[in-house]
Amino acid sequence: MSHQEIIQYVPFLSFVHPSFWHNLTELKLNVDRLNENTKQIYGRFTYREDIGSVFEVDGTSFNKDPDDEHFYLNVTGTVMNKNTIEDFKNIDKASLLNSLGEIIWQNIKTKTWIEYPNTLLNFFLLSFADLKKFHYYYWFAFPTPSQPTVHLKEKSTALSEHFNNKYLSQISEEYQALDVRQRCFFIISADSNNVQVHKLSDVFNKENGEMKIDISNLYFAFSDPSNSENPGWSLRIFLAALLEHSLQLYQSEIKVVGVRIAKNGSVEKSRLFTIITPQSTESVNGKAWVGWERNNKGNFGPKLANMSASMDPVRLADTSSDLNIKLMQWRLVPKLDVEVMKKTKCLLLGAGTLGCHVARDLLAWGFRHISFIDNGKVSFSNPTRQVLFNYEDCLNGGQMKAVAAAENLKRILPTVVSNGSALHIPMPGHPIGESLKEETISNIKQIVEAIQEHDVIFLLLDTREARWLPTLLAAHYGKITVNAALGFDSYLVMRHGLGYAEINSDVRSSYVDGSQLGCYFCNDVTAPGNSIKDRTLDQQCTVTRPGVAAIAGALAVELLVGLLQHPQRINAPAPYNLTEEDSSFDGVLGPIPHSIRGFLHSYQTVTPTCAKFKQCIACSNVVLAKYKEEGIEFLMKVFNSGTYLEEITGLKELHLTAEIADVLTFSDED
Amino acid sequence: MIDHEFISLEAFISSAESFVKISDRIHDDWKFHRDYDKQSYYIKKDTFIKHADELFKAEFNIFYNLSYGVPSFSFNIWESSGSLLSLEDIRRMSLIEIKEKDFYSVITQQEHPVFGRPYFVMHPCQTLELLASLPDSKNIIVTFLSLITPLINLKLPLEYGLL
Repeated sequence: MSHQEIIQYVPFLSFVHPSFWHNLTELKLNVDRLNENTKQIYGRFTYREDIGSVFEVDGTSFNKDPDDEHFYLNVTGTVMNKNTIEDFKNIDKASLLNSLGEIIWQNIKTKTWIEYPNTLLNFFLLSFADLKKFHYYYWFAFPTPSQPTVHLKEKSTALSEHFNNKYLSQISEEYQALDVRQRCFFIISADSNNVQVHKLSDVFNKENGEMKIDISNLYFAFSDPSNSENPGWSLRIFLAALLEHSLQLYQSEIKVVGVRIAKNGSVEKSRLFTIITPQSTESVNGKAWVGWERNNKGNFGPKLANMSASMDPVRLADTSSDLNIKLMQWRLVPKLDVEVMKKTKCLLLGAGTLGCHVARDLLAWGFRHISFIDNGKVSFSNPTRQVLFNYEDCLNGGQMKAVAAAENLKRILPTVVSNGSALHIPMPGHPIGESLKEETISNIKQIVEAIQEHDVIFLLLDTREARWLPTLLAAHYGKITVNAALGFDSYLVMRHGLGYAEINSDVRSSYVDGSQLGCYFCNDVTAPGNSIKDRTLDQQCTVTRPGVAAIAGALAVELLVGLLQHPQRINAPAPYNLTEEDSSFDGVLGPIPHSIRGFLHSYQTVTPTCAKFKQCIACSNVVLAKYKEEGIEFLMKVFNSGTYLEEITGLKELHLTAEIADVLTFSDED
Repeated sequence: MIDHEFISLEAFISSAESFVKISDRIHDDWKFHRDYDKQSYYIKKDTFIKHADELFKAEFNIFYNLSYGVPSFSFNIWESSGSLLSLEDIRRMSLIEIKEKDFYSVITQQEHPVFGRPYFVMHPCQTLELLASLPDSKNIIVTFLSLITPLINLKLPLEYGLL
């Protein structure tokens, strides 16, 4: 009926509070640096009956003196932080444990533990901190002699089956009155009249290993971390120490109580173990030690704390920025596709006032791949209006704008992919001399490559003619193009239609198909001449009311996002009337106009819509076909002549046949 | 006690103190922390949560949100290694009982205004409305918790009601 089973101990489950890693990191970075110090730290476990065998460390573990938490016992331990993962892996775990054990065994042999029972319990933490990734490799050990092996006479029983309520509350009272450092291991004595709780030193005779109380009335008690029918780990070393101290205890039946306390102070859930001690004294010698914790897979190996999500500042910046956009989706626009912004690559031609504003707003919307092309340098007049540049960027002749813009964007959000190329964009009607031919061809190739690599092209340049080449290329490669241009107190923001789209002669009354929309040049009946040639200095850079650039830049990005959130994307129709009740043209963020023209003077905006022009000098099929056929040859012809484009598109005839005296073209100077 | 504009810091502190007194009596583990210099006032409870044979630690806070002038609820849950659970993990494990469509609008992860580390925070927008709808509250913290506990899987012992 009674089966003698070998006692099974419930091992500690280590539980690390995030603040522990914070403090370890702090110490490593600021105090220890490369020194491999072993440090004394504290851990704790609870003997509460509603919590299992958990061993906890947190930020306060590094304190000089630990706090005394209610129903917890503090345990002294050591942390050894290795500098490399190899050191961590290669250190001899077995001999480490044995050397720790040696020190503890000394304590046992010199009987110090009887006076100070809390010194019997120890823990060790081996760690390696990868502070680039915020990965912490760690391994706890709770050193205890592997011997003796003891048996249970029978299954353990609840203490309430053994003692009556009066005894139980007496034990509870006296136990809680014990000094915290005596609660680890202590004695309960009970006879028919009375029950009492004693410190070890009151019961143990240190000289001769005998008990001052009759063993039959003695219960060897310990604060039990376990809350199951098996005892916690601390019992193992208690038994080893007991047997080392007292020969009297060999080959006998001893009663052990694992104290577990309820929140209200009751000890009724404590456990009574009847233990049969071994016959031979040989095994108890403190030579072999065990206690390394098993990992999550149940093997003897280290554990990993991956703290990068909460500790790596770069990752925190990234996830926090993303969170802002997710909030928009969760709380306001459930159908918002938050991923499309992340995946869309934007190329910004022009890193000036418009370029800087557009880049900032793209970042805010969650775009993470933003490139710049600009041939200029940051000058002293720039930083006040061009919001990616600082005073420092102007020094030493000035940084290249495209490069500085990309660098500074990364200083706002480290995880953005951003680069800048300093390239001159060749323009129609600006002839290219022989000496510059090679460079120009190389530039063209880089521009072509850049346009191919990105999904969206922003035209944010400061002249009309510079926009010609990228418009053509974007149409050829089928990229979404957003164009913004500034006047002194006016602006234009627009999206281009699709290149190679067949011109649809159906005239619709309420909208124009996205693919049919005109480009920047569709409204023009003259080719871009050399507008800069006779300009004075102050006309060469567009001078605008500062708000205009901010407004236009912001609208350009909002237009793009609206487009990306529309199921038809680049083909999204442009309604003539945006305020109409009909929502059939709407994307998730509403309808997408073709163009927005704003006039700051009167605080007005209008949203004109126009279709492609069959004879457009930039996006018409005629021109695109020429490029497809002749490539760079064609381009060079255009750059070197102010009239070539008018010839091939038939505009020349158009001029002759129509009486166009003053054609108002919307250019940057207006 | 509840001003329709906001709840004063003093009101929060006195409610927190009475609340923690009861907590101590029934051993409910709520503790009041105050730091005059850092202007931080909060009550905190650490507890273990069990889910599918795995043990997690949860920390619940009710802190005084200076910008909104209301109590705010924040929490974190981590596994034994110390690494924090993500909001998606928590929602999936139903450690917090909120319908999915409401979940993300009610709880967000942000840098905690008091602790400066990532925490899950319940959005304070509706708090004032909710509290104002219960004007006879004897203790703001108890009222506040009673509104949250259906969502958060946090047991609020009856003893608090006997204030």
